[in-house]
Amino acid sequence: MLATLKKNRWSYLAVAAFLLLLVLLPTQLLAEKTSILILIGIYSMVTVGLCLLMGYTGQVSLGHAAFFGTGAYLSAILSTRYDLNPWLAMLVAAIATGILAYLISYPIFKLRGNYLAMATLGLGIIIWILFRELSQYTGGPDGLSGIPNFSIGGFVFDEKLERYFLVWLFCVGALLIAQNVVGSRAGRALKGIHGSEAAAESVGINAAQFKMKIFVLGAVYASLAGSLYAHHAHAIGPNAFDFMASVMVVTMAAVGGLASIWGAVFGAATITYISQDAIVELGRSYPRLAELDVVIYGLILMLVMIFLPKGLFVSLRDALDTWRRRRAQRGATT
Amino acid sequence: MTRSLLETKALTKAFGGLTAVDKVDLSAEVGKITSVIGPNGAGKTTLFNLIAGVYMPSSGDIVFEGKPLGNAPPHKSAALGIARTLQHVLLFDNMTTLENVMTGQHPRSRYGFFEAALRLPKAHREEETISLKARQYLNLVGLGMCAERNPLSLPLGQQKLLTIARALATEPKLLLLDEPGAGLNALEKQSLSELIRRIRDMGISIVLVEHDMDLVMGIAEWVIVLDSGQKIAEGTASQIQKDKRVIAAYLGEEEAVE
Amino acid sequence: MTTEVFLQSLVSGLTQGCIYALIGLGFTIIFSVTGIINFAQGEFVMLGGMLSYFLAKSAGLSVFPALIVSIIIAMLIGAVLYLMAIRTARKASVVSLIIITIGAAIFIRGIAGELWGADPVAPPYFTGAGSISVLGASIQFQALWIVGVTLAVSIVLHLFFSYTMIGKALKASAMNRTAAGLVGVNTRTMSLIAFTLAAALGALGGVVIAPLSLTSYNVGAMLGLKGFVASSIGGFRSHIVTILGGIALGIAESLTIALNWGPFTSAYKEAIALVVLLLILLMRSRKLSQEERES
Repeated sequence: MLATLKKNRWSYLAVAAFLLLLVLLPTQLLAEKTSILILIGIYSMVTVGLCLLMGYTGQVSLGHAAFFGTGAYLSAILSTRYDLNPWLAMLVAAIATGILAYLISYPIFKLRGNYLAMATLGLGIIIWILFRELSQYTGGPDGLSGIPNFSIGGFVFDEKLERYFLVWLFCVGALLIAQNVVGSRAGRALKGIHGSEAAAESVGINAAQFKMKIFVLGAVYASLAGSLYAHHAHAIGPNAFDFMASVMVVTMAAVGGLASIWGAVFGAATITYISQDAIVELGRSYPRLAELDVVIYGLILMLVMIFLPKGLFVSLRDALDTWRRRRAQRGATT
Repeated sequence: MTRSLLETKALTKAFGGLTAVDKVDLSAEVGKITSVIGPNGAGKTTLFNLIAGVYMPSSGDIVFEGKPLGNAPPHKSAALGIARTLQHVLLFDNMTTLENVMTGQHPRSRYGFFEAALRLPKAHREEETISLKARQYLNLVGLGMCAERNPLSLPLGQQKLLTIARALATEPKLLLLDEPGAGLNALEKQSLSELIRRIRDMGISIVLVEHDMDLVMGIAEWVIVLDSGQKIAEGTASQIQKDKRVIAAYLGEEEAVE
Repeated sequence: MTTEVFLQSLVSGLTQGCIYALIGLGFTIIFSVTGIINFAQGEFVMLGGMLSYFLAKSAGLSVFPALIVSIIIAMLIGAVLYLMAIRTARKASVVSLIIITIGAAIFIRGIAGELWGADPVAPPYFTGAGSISVLGASIQFQALWIVGVTLAVSIVLHLFFSYTMIGKALKASAMNRTAAGLVGVNTRTMSLIAFTLAAALGALGGVVIAPLSLTSYNVGAMLGLKGFVASSIGGFRSHIVTILGGIALGIAESLTIALNWGPFTSAYKEAIALVVLLLILLMRSRKLSQEERES
């Protein structure tokens, strides 16, 4: 009952296969790409939050990377300057980011469409400027380094493989929680708000409050991802959290499908692979293609939104559903 | 002595220079079907919007169950027990018919993000209840067979029934129906009348805005007539039919059309 | 701050502000006719500047032919953007359209980066690098060109919208698309014209400021944002307020840098436009929440 109503044998199988893949990838199949796999996990978390916001309430956020950044910076500052335990730092960062998101959401969710987009854009850039300019705390344009690893008791997460499992543990947890929320009363409320805000209000749904809650949830996810990123990369700078980073996350959400949770992983995987791997490879053979990621994001964004507005992943999944249904029908009539 | 469930006192709403609702005193009794009629532009939907909290009154009061509503926003009035259907069918096309009705249970359930996220037993229990009740309401309006279908695949008449089921799921004390008969054929209107009576028999008071006179005269126990924002008459259905002012108001409309 | 510094800031602010005004007009025209915020507007400014430089350099065109050709190319790109991206998307939601224009913006920016590299360039001045001195402030010839062009454009646009058939049709579409359609205006053509016109305005702004402030493939983003702020000051409707808003923004930026007050170094210059933007949006949000309860 409390889950997507379409739960059946297939989805259990799919989840099991996914988990199996998660274990096999860094150990057997793509061991040399563990860094990229870690990044995919991190960006999946950021993207899921955005998908929930954009897909379920129809609100646009062009500044989501800012929350990713606050998580990273707060974790970094607290664990380097103030010698705070990284786990505690991550918690504090998440709470602080959540509060920030809550305060921001109050005035901006009265806006709609373009205006809302612009507000998130503006806020995202302001926060990025603060990252860049408050050098005393953030290390300015050069950022911070020497960020320690996570550790539990004596066990330190200093191996890539260890960090991989830590990141994906968080990521899968975040995905499952998102899944649970979407299949619940809150999820119906969100979908209702997206379908028709007036009708949702008429059945007692406080649209403003829900939008705020989902915005905060997305921000907290991004913050946790940011903390994981900081303790993985060990050094961070403002450029990872600028407008282009927000665009990248939007691209991941668009490719995955704005209202799809597992699609977020697909989108994050695709775009991360393109930006980290494919372009690097191409860049070796054709050095002038250094800025190509920008061109490709642009192209992907346009093509996906024009032709597959539901997102690549969701469209593929729908196509698969239709194909399976047609096969079943044909089987029934013969 | 029958009680008033809903009362408006000198309720007024002005949009700039236009007074859509002008010092309307209205009283809807508990357990009765009250109907608000009037020519086009008389202010009926505005009146509903005021009661449901979509608009803020320019002046006057709305009293529900003896307590003033005090500018409660729509989601609050739903929680207090005022449900409504809208003139234009606004269904959630991103979920099934049953899920549409389940959203109606929102104000009668409590579990939130936290319980949902962790799949706590409380969440499961409430979901069971929500789902069960939603099915009951869906069956009540006769759409039990359509539970898994997308609402947009239903014909208009059934879509309207769905909005009624959704409103009923909020377990209201007062149901505001805004032109439920619009776009229905004669047979559908008859089923609608029976449904409305059944809802009243369940203990829910109803206020009905409707253009179809036969429908109104058939079920309304009390009729209030608006014209140009003002109340010009009220009484039983047969009294209203003979009221000269009412006839004049409607004739005026007919003349204008010609 | 001395009078000289103040006047100098005023001049540079006015100059910069005129560019914001031109960009802002582009936003306003597109939004009022089509309801779309064209996030790619800033890129047309970039294209104007870059094209004029490379046309002058590689094709050996002199200043004014380069200007004209740059603007024409930008207009073509604007038309293509509308036809391929916007028109094809048809009933796309607001979210989709926003993402599409963002995609177009970074696509254009990326291609520009590919074609022309990352180094900033400056096309030649229209009439040389000299300047005149007024009340102790030095005003460059190019700055005079900028203000002059902006003034001329404002007047021409006003005449265009008030006295020509196409202009009046555009204005009608801006006021009420449905009504305009009912009286025989082809709204899709109007949208196309709006995009093309906005591209021209953007490119013109780019062409005219590039000699003064250098240009490179990524200037479009911030310039676009500031033009957007100018447009939002004008409520996306009033041309004159947009122009004045752009100029006010330019002057505000300039003065703030000159003041160099407290911890707000000139690096925060970009933040000014954003703060103005957020203030406007905040006001709008307050107004909306008041309106919501009224009706």
